Amino acid sequence: MVAYEIFQLVVFPGALFVICLAFLYEWVDRKLFARVQGRYGPLYTGPAGILQPVADFLKLLSKEDIVPRACDANLFFAVPVMYAALPLTALFIMPIAAPEALVSFEGDLIFILFSFGLMTLLIFLAGWSSMSRFSAIGSVRSALQMLSYEIPLGLVLVCPAIAARSLSVSGIVQWQAANATWGAALQPIGLAVVMVCMLAELELVPFDIPEAETEIVAGWRTEFTGRRLALFRMGRDLEIVLVSALVVSLYLGGAQQLWLVPAAAMFVIKTAAVVAVFSFARALFARFRIDQMIAGMWKYLLPIAVAQVVLVQMGLGA
Amino acid sequence: MAVNWARSGSPWLIHFNTGGCNGCDIEFVAAITPVYDVERFGIKLQGSPRHADILAVTGPVTVQIAHSLKRVYDQMPSPKFVVALGTCAVSGAPFRNCYCVHGGVDSVIPVDAYVPGCPPKPEAMIDGIAKLLQKIRGTKG
Repeated sequence: MVAYEIFQLVVFPGALFVICLAFLYEWVDRKLFARVQGRYGPLYTGPAGILQPVADFLKLLSKEDIVPRACDANLFFAVPVMYAALPLTALFIMPIAAPEALVSFEGDLIFILFSFGLMTLLIFLAGWSSMSRFSAIGSVRSALQMLSYEIPLGLVLVCPAIAARSLSVSGIVQWQAANATWGAALQPIGLAVVMVCMLAELELVPFDIPEAETEIVAGWRTEFTGRRLALFRMGRDLEIVLVSALVVSLYLGGAQQLWLVPAAAMFVIKTAAVVAVFSFARALFARFRIDQMIAGMWKYLLPIAVAQVVLVQMGLGA
Repeated sequence: MAVNWARSGSPWLIHFNTGGCNGCDIEFVAAITPVYDVERFGIKLQGSPRHADILAVTGPVTVQIAHSLKRVYDQMPSPKFVVALGTCAVSGAPFRNCYCVHGGVDSVIPVDAYVPGCPPKPEAMIDGIAKLLQKIRGTKG
């Protein structure tokens, strides 16, 4: 029994499965992005290029590790490890193979929100510790961006919790299963707001202001090389899995069995659909300026988010 | 073995103009458009030399920019490779022995692949990089 629990934590649906899923979704994202532009995308690394993220990861692991003389060495070493570990930890709260997650407690939705805030804080520290002007601009932009999307995101994520009378992600999934409904059907406005905020959280194209390549080289990760960069890339991929898992769990019914299709397969299909929406958005839009982004979030997205909370409180969509 | 496979499967490029006429740069930019789709080989264009594996240099190296080229090369993490794109980058071409020109790229930093042409076609540039990748993989001397 203990062996099975260790297997659950380490292999399926724990760390190994989630890391494989992270690499798979990077490939899905790059392929779809390429298809929208009328190209093939990664093609020769493994069948149809499916091993491309693995090749990138291995290559970065084997590269020279440069530490700039001016950087704050302790932070510079610690931040990439924490950045990769945090979404991996948060993913244990997500129901993947069953409506009940490996770890769940009343209030884990708040922990997820907290971990999103912590990711941005780590990004800020990463840019700050590397003492490069491009990194500093990137990290300040990242913090500014967080100040504008965190509030609508927090407001809207509370709505499914109000509807399900539970602050646990597993509890919300089980509520949807018990009522045979999807959060998206009850709160479509909330889903739209969450998707926009998540694009900003993941720093994907309309909101990739902190790493705008044409302006500030590579933003907050300009100075990172080798295995630190590899950890940052893996952390980003895991964050995409975490975000799509959260959207699926709160709004798209989560990991529920459908006839003969097992819950884990439904989870993978639904999260892949969310990743597809992200990569289409990435391919279709151009980058906003930081002031446009902040003004838009406060002027338009925040009132919409408040309206969603009011609607739920009035009993609509609950 | 696995490392060589990974290195040849994910070459990230950074582009550096050492004082050319922009002819090669236009062709290089054409080579990374969707028409040629170099992401098939895993090639990505990076902004930071810290992230790049291959330095793609165009233009004759002027005396003024020689130290900057050396510095960008030094900022890249090894193993790193250099591709000289265009006849000017290969040898300095018509500007060789000019008072303000240092010479070809190999007079400043070691070069792994040369692509001659004025300017070389995007196909020629991709072919040169693909041959360098074969060299990294170890299938071709």
